[in-house]
Amino acid sequence: MRPNSHRGTIFLEEGEILQRTAYEGEQYLLRLRAPACAKAARPGQFIHLRCQEALPLRRPLSILRAQADWIELLFRAVGRGTRALARQPVGARLSLLGPIGQPFQLPSSEKPVLLIGGGIGIPPLVFAAQILHRRNHGRVFAAFGSEIPFPFAPKPAEFLVSGLPPDVIAAMPLLEDWGIPNRLASQQGYPGCFSGYVTDLARRWLQSLEPTAAAQTEILACGPQPMLAAAADLARAFGCACQVSLEAFMACGVGGCAGCAVDVHTAQGLARKRVCVDGPVFDAHQIF
Amino acid sequence: MQTASAPQLGLDFCGLSFATPLVLLSGCVGFGEEYTRVQGFSHREVGAVCLKGTTLAPRLGNAPHRLCETPGGLLNAIGLQNPGVDAVIRDILPRLDFSETRFIANVSGSTVEEYAEVTRRFDDSPVDAIEINISCPNVKAGGVAFGNDVRMSAQVVAACRRATKKPLITKLSPNQTDIAANARACLEAGSDAFSVINTLMGMAIDIERRVPVLGNNQGGLSGPAIKPIALLKVHQVYQVCKAHGVPIIGQGGITSSEDALEFLIAGASALGIGTALFYDPLICGKINRGIADYLRRHGLDRIDPLIGSLRLHGEFTGDSCDQ
Ligand SMILES: Cc1cc2nc3c(=O)[nH]c(=O)nc-3n(C[C@H](O)[C@H](O)[C@H](O)COP(=O)(O)OP(=O)(O)OC[C@H]3O[C@@H](n4cnc5c(N)ncnc54)[C@H](O)[C@@H]3O)c2cc1C
Ligand SMILES: Cc1cc2nc3c(=O)[nH]c(=O)nc-3n(C[C@H](O)[C@H](O)[C@H](O)COP(=O)(O)O)c2cc1C
Ligand code: FES
Repeated sequence: MRPNSHRGTIFLEEGEILQRTAYEGEQYLLRLRAPACAKAARPGQFIHLRCQEALPLRRPLSILRAQADWIELLFRAVGRGTRALARQPVGARLSLLGPIGQPFQLPSSEKPVLLIGGGIGIPPLVFAAQILHRRNHGRVFAAFGSEIPFPFAPKPAEFLVSGLPPDVIAAMPLLEDWGIPNRLASQQGYPGCFSGYVTDLARRWLQSLEPTAAAQTEILACGPQPMLAAAADLARAFGCACQVSLEAFMACGVGGCAGCAVDVHTAQGLARKRVCVDGPVFDAHQIF
Repeated sequence: MQTASAPQLGLDFCGLSFATPLVLLSGCVGFGEEYTRVQGFSHREVGAVCLKGTTLAPRLGNAPHRLCETPGGLLNAIGLQNPGVDAVIRDILPRLDFSETRFIANVSGSTVEEYAEVTRRFDDSPVDAIEINISCPNVKAGGVAFGNDVRMSAQVVAACRRATKKPLITKLSPNQTDIAANARACLEAGSDAFSVINTLMGMAIDIERRVPVLGNNQGGLSGPAIKPIALLKVHQVYQVCKAHGVPIIGQGGITSSEDALEFLIAGASALGIGTALFYDPLICGKINRGIADYLRRHGLDRIDPLIGSLRLHGEFTGDSCDQ
């Protein structure tokens, strides 16, 4: 018998809501006390959360960041589960399973890293930025896009980024604090934002690099499917590696039901892999 | 008053010793090791684990979406995704820890011959028993098409019976008019036990796009929503089984020890836990403790006296429609 190394890696906790912040566009930031999950969490992983007693099936939500004994989530209320979650008050206790899934592989400091996040796909990339900051990775750029107001107050960037129009100055304060250059994109004409797709903003940055540096870049992306496809195309155009984080409807969240399968193109041909435990992070070139 | 010794939850199921009456259900726990990811989860809390439905050749399964939550339940249309029987025996069974629990293979096919061949290959493997799924609603050929036809059901059972000496469990479909008649035919064909019930066929519709939510259009409904149906079906099959001492794994919507006890009283010897694991991965310990508490309160030291202990109001007619 070969014991499985994955045993006991996911924790079941009663997460108490410590903080709750509402943003425009039905977006919410929750801080939950979940010590075991917080300790083990890595960027790209998610939790499977019961939003409400009356809705027993859990909902998957990415970990925005983890610190001490808490984790943070950023979500948009879009349906029954997330709307119920949005109504939960500070102090409420919610059953959560986590951390779950294959995290982003964070490259060594020689390789440039390009983080591309769209809408509710931004959270795992904020977590990745935090860890890259802790590792003193000096060559990171983050491009975040949203078509509804950003769930934070953008501020003028301190860090210069070459290759961008001079009026593209809006940045995410948290990443600025960590010293990670970043810019925001939108088609809604928000002040200081790059006007267009977030992947076009990312392309400008890649174009500003030496071709060899561009080809060494590791792209990490999470967001809507068309954005991920565009990120994969971008990676192909510049010859760089790309990891994408996918979404799927889930039941168990631990690999038991095969309900969350997606098509993956492997060397052996088409396979269907589980987003919860084989993903959510996959090699973009095997998906698109 | 509490008795000194703890009640005994273990049982003999077709000659296999089950540590508790709980059985983790096919399709809900992958190929056995998946839930061990959860800290605190232990296979020692269950009598057996049924592996995912397995066919002769590998199957990719259905296109997404494969799941949809419904009030009190879950629709699924996985489509029997599995790597094929040979890969299961070669790559998966050696990784399972048989000291922790019993492992039961779950067999599917599109022809009688395929059922028999998959059963034959599992016969020559370490699995403890074989469950034949003649009730899968999510594949076009075989599955429920066999399970809803009494003659075909019996043919599949007879062919599998010839292919194995291991305990043979037939998983019956609730999507049929007379489950008792089917159970009788399968019993005569050599089934050692029954699983009652598999999922009920259902559908969910995306009203904005006017398309079914599931990629397969329809799916199998599980969870608390189907429990009353499952209880009645278990009791109907129990009427057939009791004289022969043939045990039933009662299943369909069990999420608490109270649910589990209802199934025991209706005639089940073992209790399947599927969808409830999605709600609470550590539910089995809670259900075991709840059953033990009940036994203590009723002055019982084991579950046997409960099985089929239902006291009916008058005679059980089985199929009457009393609206
Ligand atoms: C790995 C992963 C990480 C995610 N991270 C975030 C995040 O950080 N922030 C955020 O706002 N959202 C995130 N999502 C999406 C989030 O899970 C869905 O918005 C949520 O499940 C919708 O549930 P609902 O009941 O509100 O919506 P409904 O539409 O009522 O949901 C009905 C059912 O469909 C499922 N479903 C619907 N949309 C999705 C979807 N996009 N992905 C998965 N299941 C879905 C639900 O889980 C539920 O079972 C993530 C999804 C995955 C798979
Ligand atoms: C996602 C999912 C997949 C399933 N796959 C199988 C399968 O491969 N073979 C089988 O015999 N039953 C399968 N079933 C049926 C279950 O084993 C069980 O009979 C049914 O779900 C009722 O129990 P429950 O309400 O406790 O889940 C599946 C059920 C679910 C929810
Ligand atoms: S949600 Fe069950 S396998 Fe991924």
